[in-house]
Amino acid sequence: MKKRLTMGKRRKLVSWLFILPATLLIAGMSFYPMIKAFLLSFTKGFGKTSEFVGTYNYQRLFQDSLFKTSLGNTFIYLILQVPLMLLLALILASLLNNPKIKCKGLFRTMIFLPCATSLVSYSIIFRSMFALDGFANSVLMNLNMISRPINWLGEIWPARIIIVLAITWRWTGYNMIFYLSGLQNIDPQVYEAARIDGASVSQQFRKITIPLLRPIILLTAIMSTNGTLQLFDETKNLTNGGPANMTISISQYIYKLSFEYSPQFGYAATISFIVFLLVAVLSFLQMKVGDKRD
Amino acid sequence: MKRKLLSVILMIAMVTCLFTGCSKGSDDSSKTGSNKAEGSKTSDDPVTLTVWCWDPQFNCYAMNTAGDIYTKAHPNVKVEVIETAWDDIQTKLTTAVTSGQTNTLPDIILMQDSALAKNIINYPDAFVDLTNSGIKFDQFAAFKTALGTVDGKKYSVPFDNGAAITCLRTDILQQAGYTLDDFTNITWKEFIEKGKVVLEKTGKPLLSNQAGSPDLLMLMMQSAGAWVLDENGKANFKDNAVLKEVIDTYVELVKSGVLVEVNDWDQYVSSINSTTVAGAMNGCWIVATVTSAADQSGLWGVTNVPKLSNAGATNYSSQGGSSWLVCANSKNKDVAADFLGETFGGSVELYETILPSSGALATYLPAGESAAYANPQDFFGGDTIYLKITEYASKVPQVSYGVYNYEARDAIGAAITKIVAGTDYDTAIGEAQKELEFQMGQ
Amino acid sequence: MTKAKIKYFFAYAFLIIVSFISIFPLLWMLISATNTSLDVIRGKMSFGTAIVDNFKQLIQTTQIGQALINSFRNAASLTIISLIVCSLAGYAFEIYHDKWKDGVMKLLLLSMMVPFAATMIPLFTWFGKMNLINTTAGFMLPSISTAFLIFLFRQSSRNFPYEIVEAARIEGMSEIRIFTRIFVPIMKPTYAAAITVTFMNAWNSYLWPLVILQDKKSQTMPILISNLISGYTINYGVLMLAVSISTLPTIIIFFLLQKNFAEGITGAVK
Repeated sequence: MKKRLTMGKRRKLVSWLFILPATLLIAGMSFYPMIKAFLLSFTKGFGKTSEFVGTYNYQRLFQDSLFKTSLGNTFIYLILQVPLMLLLALILASLLNNPKIKCKGLFRTMIFLPCATSLVSYSIIFRSMFALDGFANSVLMNLNMISRPINWLGEIWPARIIIVLAITWRWTGYNMIFYLSGLQNIDPQVYEAARIDGASVSQQFRKITIPLLRPIILLTAIMSTNGTLQLFDETKNLTNGGPANMTISISQYIYKLSFEYSPQFGYAATISFIVFLLVAVLSFLQMKVGDKRD
Repeated sequence: MKRKLLSVILMIAMVTCLFTGCSKGSDDSSKTGSNKAEGSKTSDDPVTLTVWCWDPQFNCYAMNTAGDIYTKAHPNVKVEVIETAWDDIQTKLTTAVTSGQTNTLPDIILMQDSALAKNIINYPDAFVDLTNSGIKFDQFAAFKTALGTVDGKKYSVPFDNGAAITCLRTDILQQAGYTLDDFTNITWKEFIEKGKVVLEKTGKPLLSNQAGSPDLLMLMMQSAGAWVLDENGKANFKDNAVLKEVIDTYVELVKSGVLVEVNDWDQYVSSINSTTVAGAMNGCWIVATVTSAADQSGLWGVTNVPKLSNAGATNYSSQGGSSWLVCANSKNKDVAADFLGETFGGSVELYETILPSSGALATYLPAGESAAYANPQDFFGGDTIYLKITEYASKVPQVSYGVYNYEARDAIGAAITKIVAGTDYDTAIGEAQKELEFQMGQ
Repeated sequence: MTKAKIKYFFAYAFLIIVSFISIFPLLWMLISATNTSLDVIRGKMSFGTAIVDNFKQLIQTTQIGQALINSFRNAASLTIISLIVCSLAGYAFEIYHDKWKDGVMKLLLLSMMVPFAATMIPLFTWFGKMNLINTTAGFMLPSISTAFLIFLFRQSSRNFPYEIVEAARIEGMSEIRIFTRIFVPIMKPTYAAAITVTFMNAWNSYLWPLVILQDKKSQTMPILISNLISGYTINYGVLMLAVSISTLPTIIIFFLLQKNFAEGITGAVK
């Protein structure tokens, strides 16, 4: 028998053991291929014709108008969509956490359903609703809000807005459930006390809900930023990048470069690393602001 | 306490074990069905040919029928079809070849004609050169074999016909005082003039098209024997007179209302089936979509496409269509080639069997002489449309799509959207040319 | 009093509108599943009678039973393993946090920021060399440990009462026992939410199963649906039925678990 470790050292060892399986798996399944892909970004061609080209692919980025368009589009989605969705999810979660609201289970399920709905069916219905002779135009025309039908998916800004709405529609309920589960750890008496002190609903929301949910808000903010910067499904299925590539996202462009076009894996990897850098910087900023222990 | 720790360690051991690949079942990797008989092989060894293709009512059905026919003569050979969407075939193929795992590929794959040159030129080692396999390539429509020929080597066995047709609602034409003959062997100018009359008298546009989709433009290009890439594979947008005429014609179609743009494929199908438009122009496989509206039986007619005005212009073109390729990793290359040669390249019976229920039209010319092709089709007013289409196929001008076909199509798609929205021709085409040159200049 | 009533009226009105918008496409999907393809394409918006025919055709032309079993087996086993590995790590990252572990956590977060299209081919090459193609292990390995789940458990443990851990230690409980006996029950809401989303993501995963599971028998639901929309003529009625069936498991799991992450768990903390 070896000498027993001290409690503190033991605990430290155990804590690292708890972390080890997950960390090893991520190292192997994500970091290893990431490093491989990073090396790939300095090459062109593939297989036997692969050759080292230094920073050539990175220089190409500056002449690539499609890359610039896709980068711009993705940022438009990011700026419009993430705050809208997270705020909506927060409001819904706090409403549905209110003990006085009835039929909460039903509302919760209905609001969650979009993210379980298959991409195939919802993209078909979104496209038909926003067709030239679709539901959206007939409602707006009947309400006299527009004088002639809008070609929602055929014009640049309407198409971008539909994409933002579609992502928001799909993922709000998803984010809501993290808030709901987070709210369970807040003692209802905190709200009770605030009410007695005469705090209004919006004050309670700002002064209690948001600060106490901060760790979860940070989580959803990082996840949504990452999700939007890697957006693929919606642009591929709703507009297929059109009209004239004005709604294409970076991930859709990477996919095209890898599997539709004559493959340019090195260049696709280069663009992937730009995405990586962007998400990393944004997440770092979010961590800086949000990841504090009291 | 110790036990719990042990369990953690065990878990880590398990994970590490998974890493090094000592997991169970790893021995059955790369088993995609191909028979792995090593060493000397007699002709009686059981062989299973695996095939990837994508439409159960169409090419999967054809492949299964071909398998049945071949098995009769060669009882040791079985064909197993694995239904795989075309996009998925391309993804799997690209992944397998670029990661050096070609043993995950099947024996035979079906490939869209538009991707033939791209894949064969990029991955010459992945497919079998069938030039000397005994397959009689001269019995197929010439433009089809040309698509799968690289450096004089023939890699693909043509399957379905993509010959372009115009489907028109004869009842609506009649209301405007026209018959199908008025739309046969005409020019695009005449087509637009007559289309305007139909629109005025019946309120129905003749055609619909997916906005931003280059399909119709490419169809028009090929009908004139021209293409957007020159013979060296270079971008050929600027100063391309045929392209200019094609785009002018398309813009005129949209402006005059003879063609309506829709945003996606479902709405395109809907516009045809719900009589929003009075016709459809596409590869002949569109017949399946048209006939799915059974209540419109007898109201449709089929004719050839209008022609452009340049020297090589014809009334024939192609859109879509697909071909079979044998994968080089196949353990049964020779069997696979022999199978394709005897069935898709030699069995009129096969084409006769598959035609009635699948509408799969051959590019194998002898099949056109069979009785099944001469059957009148009630849906099309008793017309022998299969004979017609087979005849069209033999007249399709030959063009070379090239490795950068998808890039070129995307560039054209973006350009046409801009032009329809009001950008002037030279600016939009200049941008498209630059875009394509960028993608090609890797 | 009336002011409060008005407030609740607006709250309900808001919830009803949001709920309606949320379920509208789902409703349309269910309606379409009962109609013929032609009716769907012509925009019919009422329940039809074609559901039996659609069902028959779905069963005849696809191996939907097999695909459902495959998808369920894959998603369920991945969810279980994934939750064990990630919740343990997430717990440790927070409860035993120090600057090293915070650093490692930040590093792990980086792992989800590269688009999968870029890492797929190196991963596939490697798995091919290790003979993992066509194996369940090959399918599961890349998604067992995700930075997202670890991070979720770490963030959710932020409000975890540390005094309980201290008290348990004084009573002589081992660290792993504190995790299984105290942490897991208290964190039920987080587990419920995590199971829902992990199952859903695994159920819908597409690109990786497509390339790694090549066997005909291992086809999953998303690939079956991809095949249904790849034909030259799409049968929209059958497609919508398949899509409806494919949506069910996630909805059922959500429905069964939702009470756990949304109601009355707070009592357990005290």
